[in-house]
Amino acid sequence: MIIVGILLAAAAVVVLVALPFLREPVAADDRLDAPSEADERRFTLVEERDRALTALKELEFDHRTGKVDDADYRELVGPLRQAAAVALRALDSPQE
Amino acid sequence: MPTRSPARLVVALAVAGVLAIFLLYTAVAGHSTPTLTPSEMQGKSGKLQVVGTVVGKLRGDSHSASGLRFQLADPQGHGGKRVDVVYHGAAPPPLFRVGRSVVVTGTYAHERLQGTDIVTKCPSKYTSTAS
Amino acid sequence: MADLGRAALVVTLGLAVYSLVVGGIAARRNERRLAASARNALYCSFASTLVAAAVLATALVRHDFSFKYVAAHTNRHLPVAYTLSAFWGGQEGSLLLWLLVLTGYGALAVAINRGLLRDLTAWVVPVIGGIATFFSFVLVAVASPFDTQTAPFDGAGLTPSLQNPYMVAHPPMLYLGYVGLSVPFAFAVGALLSGRTDERWIIATRRWTLAAWMFLGFGQLLGAHWAYVEVGWGGYYAWDPVENAALMPWLAATAFLHSVMVQERKGMLKVWNMVLVALAFELSVFGTFLTRSGVVNSIHSFSKSSIGPWFLAFVVISSIFSLALIMWRLPLLKAKTKLESAISREAAFLYNNLLLVALCLTILWGVLFPIVTQLLRGETRTIGRPYYDFFLRTFGLPLLLLMGIGPLVAWRKTSLRGLLRTLAWPITAAVATGIVLVAVGGGSSSPGLIAYTFSAFVLATIVVELVRGTRATGSLFVLVARNRRRYGGYVVHAAIVLLAIGIAGSSAYSSSVERRLALGQSMSVAGYTLTNRGVTVDAKPNVTETRAHLAVKGRWSGSISSGDNQYVNPPEPSREVGIKTDWLRGEDLYVIVDESHPKTGIVFVQVLVKPLINLIWVAGIVFLFGSMIALWPDAREQRRLVARLAPIASS
Repeated sequence: MIIVGILLAAAAVVVLVALPFLREPVAADDRLDAPSEADERRFTLVEERDRALTALKELEFDHRTGKVDDADYRELVGPLRQAAAVALRALDSPQE
Repeated sequence: MPTRSPARLVVALAVAGVLAIFLLYTAVAGHSTPTLTPSEMQGKSGKLQVVGTVVGKLRGDSHSASGLRFQLADPQGHGGKRVDVVYHGAAPPPLFRVGRSVVVTGTYAHERLQGTDIVTKCPSKYTSTAS
Repeated sequence: MADLGRAALVVTLGLAVYSLVVGGIAARRNERRLAASARNALYCSFASTLVAAAVLATALVRHDFSFKYVAAHTNRHLPVAYTLSAFWGGQEGSLLLWLLVLTGYGALAVAINRGLLRDLTAWVVPVIGGIATFFSFVLVAVASPFDTQTAPFDGAGLTPSLQNPYMVAHPPMLYLGYVGLSVPFAFAVGALLSGRTDERWIIATRRWTLAAWMFLGFGQLLGAHWAYVEVGWGGYYAWDPVENAALMPWLAATAFLHSVMVQERKGMLKVWNMVLVALAFELSVFGTFLTRSGVVNSIHSFSKSSIGPWFLAFVVISSIFSLALIMWRLPLLKAKTKLESAISREAAFLYNNLLLVALCLTILWGVLFPIVTQLLRGETRTIGRPYYDFFLRTFGLPLLLLMGIGPLVAWRKTSLRGLLRTLAWPITAAVATGIVLVAVGGGSSSPGLIAYTFSAFVLATIVVELVRGTRATGSLFVLVARNRRRYGGYVVHAAIVLLAIGIAGSSAYSSSVERRLALGQSMSVAGYTLTNRGVTVDAKPNVTETRAHLAVKGRWSGSISSGDNQYVNPPEPSREVGIKTDWLRGEDLYVIVDESHPKTGIVFVQVLVKPLINLIWVAGIVFLFGSMIALWPDAREQRRLVARLAPIASS
């Protein structure tokens, strides 16, 4: 009884490991869906945009709660707004 | 005008500071004790730790003036060298008994260890069951 | 039955090798079906390890003493809970637990991320496979839990001092921590191998790292509490190599948790993060090596085990591999921004990292020192407690201060003027606390006083942050819910502060008196008077309990007893200390009777009064609470990640 169970389990393991090839004996496209170069560039730009926007949001919040005073805020917000604008522009304009 | 970030300098100084504290302390304070087995005791003296197995009869009481007296042998049983120990202080931990591995800290002089601290090892959990 | 267990482990080994080799080839050659096959092998390796674990668990519950492991660690009288916990009570079983958690975590992490991070995950599979190969190899060829013998009638049993609920929970907690660190490590290596060295590997593994760190930290506190109540020397941490083995990776992981925030916000410290995560992982495996190999003198390990060299080899090889990988990918790890000001959030995290890693390496040096001196001078020298205490204070106190300053500093830079303005209230609170403390006698210990004032400072900054944030958002709950990571972090900081206060109070301001008391004789310690009321011997079926009873008068009045237990099965003694906790003051009256004479009633007793020690245990609960807040899944965060990566994945 146990032997049967073990044999079944062993068979299951073999099937599972071979499954991708059993499902698609011949694959039209066997490439690992890795992002293309264009996708990667876009991803980098999205990251930069998110980073700039998060930093801006955080600065606004810190200013609102009083952690960053007006003088420091004025000094820091300019470059951050610029960076966000640059990132948004880069993302919107088609690159190719 | 490209300026080098002053922050890098501060961080570098901080690293140097930490290193300096460390080196200074270890140079000045030392605070390391030789840890020896009974067969390595030849010619040594002063404050040290001895690692060994408790052998022979336990005589006396750690709270009394003459102390608790026993001997330590090499842990693996190599060599016949034994060390006489006279221990004063709190009664040793309950796991202390003949045949147990212990570490005794004290001062070694005139072929005798005046022990001030005993640490018994937990019976080893991690030796393989095959041994 | 043992054959089934052995076979299951061999199957795991085979599957691990498959996922390592085939997974590596698939990732290298960019082949989808092969990568999926390797992934499935990893999933199956968890299943076969589960079978092996079930075999061992069943053998334990059935008291099957034909298993050498079961006979060595349990006996018929052992309560079920301890019979089951014997699973991880010895070498082979604990390695099996490690492998189980590793394959389980690995399979789960890969399954979750295979859709979004395809090429990265393709490399994670062989890395996990490689680690699993090592552990399953050791279990199959070096230390098998399934060795058999002719079954003796009864087993050896478990040392009574280990029969304690804390000791049941302590090892699995630690393992969830140790093994959990292999997930971010595997993703880091995957990122390096796939060339995807931006933040996606960090974002994908953030919660894994946090959870592992939480388990590792809490597990250590459980162990410390056990040592305090059960081992009974009056302390909770002895800087023993085995204790340090858990502390070091935890410190490295703490540094890592902070520095990844810098990488996420500013794209800096990429190389540093790679090094840190590798360091945390290697230290966790190295810690296992220390605990088991007998290479360093420790209260836990003694005899040299055959397993040591294998672990050492694994740590050396994987470290060299990681370093080589980092150096190869150095061009991809260039920082996107620079550090601009020495007073900025980035800089604060850098100082924090510096102190944490310095403390970690200092402890590592202390642990390795005996080995180094043996190799270089032929003489083993051991570093004692004062060394560790000094560096804990030197690096720990500034770290404490930084916990208060860091959150109040802005990213990029903060002017000194702005900083002082924000810190005005907390500084006032700290100075006021200091003055009050000196007035009540706290000046007796400078480090203690400093720790207390710094703690007041940090607590004040946390309160300031919460008050400000609540005013801005309108509701504390909404504030925390919207920023779980930040405010969960603040709660964890509060826990660390409680820990610091507890440690400072119980060490810097504790009292200890040793006395020989005849029957009826009294002694005084820190406001308590204890009188010897005699010794009783209570013979029970499995244990003879010898107790000295002392009547207490003072801040608390009552009776406290302490003595020794002598067990029958297994024939082991244990020391039983008497602890009276005053919850209002958070202090403990701790009585150790190390020698008692029932006939004459003479006892030798050491009485300790440990102020604020219970804050350490409270800190553990707060720590868990804060970590859970930070861990709580955030739907918005997940949507953001998907939005970033999904267009790529669906193309």
